[in-house]
Amino acid sequence: MAESLAHECTPLKKEYDSCFNAWFEGYLEPAVSASSSRDRYSEYSQRKAEEFQQKCGKIWEEYRGCVHKALKEKGLDAMIQQSREENPLVQPPPLP
Amino acid sequence: MHFVNQSYQYDHPWSHVVIGMWHKYPNPKCTHVVSIDVLDRSVDPKSGVIRTERILGCKQKAPKWIVKLFGGSEDAFVREISFIDPRTQNATITSENLSLSQFATCLEQIQYTPSPTTPGCTLFLQTAEIQARMAIWRSAADGLEKWMAQRFEQNAQLGKMAFTDVLRRLWDERQVAHV
Repeated sequence: MAESLAHECTPLKKEYDSCFNAWFEGYLEPAVSASSSRDRYSEYSQRKAEEFQQKCGKIWEEYRGCVHKALKEKGLDAMIQQSREENPLVQPPPLP
Repeated sequence: MHFVNQSYQYDHPWSHVVIGMWHKYPNPKCTHVVSIDVLDRSVDPKSGVIRTERILGCKQKAPKWIVKLFGGSEDAFVREISFIDPRTQNATITSENLSLSQFATCLEQIQYTPSPTTPGCTLFLQTAEIQARMAIWRSAADGLEKWMAQRFEQNAQLGKMAFTDVLRRLWDERQVAHV
């Protein structure tokens, strides 16, 4: 697993990444299978989204706090903000 | 303006490729990527789409003239936004340089979908638009674009090989372990 941009955030990053990867591996293939039925898929997504929050919500808050502090200290937050304003990308881009 | 266009096929099903995405770094074939952090992640409870925003820290040795003219340092940062949609089996990843962005932008888009021709395989499509931003000396702008395009192609090549290794390690070795 790669390092964090700030040394002190790396242990939190590793814990968060492990949490996400474990959840994601369990999430993906059943999601693909459930996609044939709209109702079943909605119910599944809802349940799994809540489960992700329950399992990884706490470590996420700690990790995110650490990273945001580091970004400010390194003066990177202005660059990120500008990029977000130019390309918010809140929706997937259109397919080519 | 420089355009790059590549396509490739991975011998792994889509879900394996998308799970493998998160294990790509660190990678001995891509030592230029030194850090990755998640800035934001959300799971849409209705659509099941996972949106992830990350910042990647890279160390790239830029030619001296670029550093002199445009400043910058060895540390370069990239912002990456990905959308994973299990319902349509579509993953798109968009990346843009944060560093040197006031001078030139490299906007890359990657898409992973199940191969339309070969079951159990995944199609990889990659496009990049590299453009100098300001009205600077034409030759300097061209030089910068050209260097970025070259680095991009080199890194893309390494990235493909590196990711193939990761998928093999993650999935083929797992199969063997289960036998």
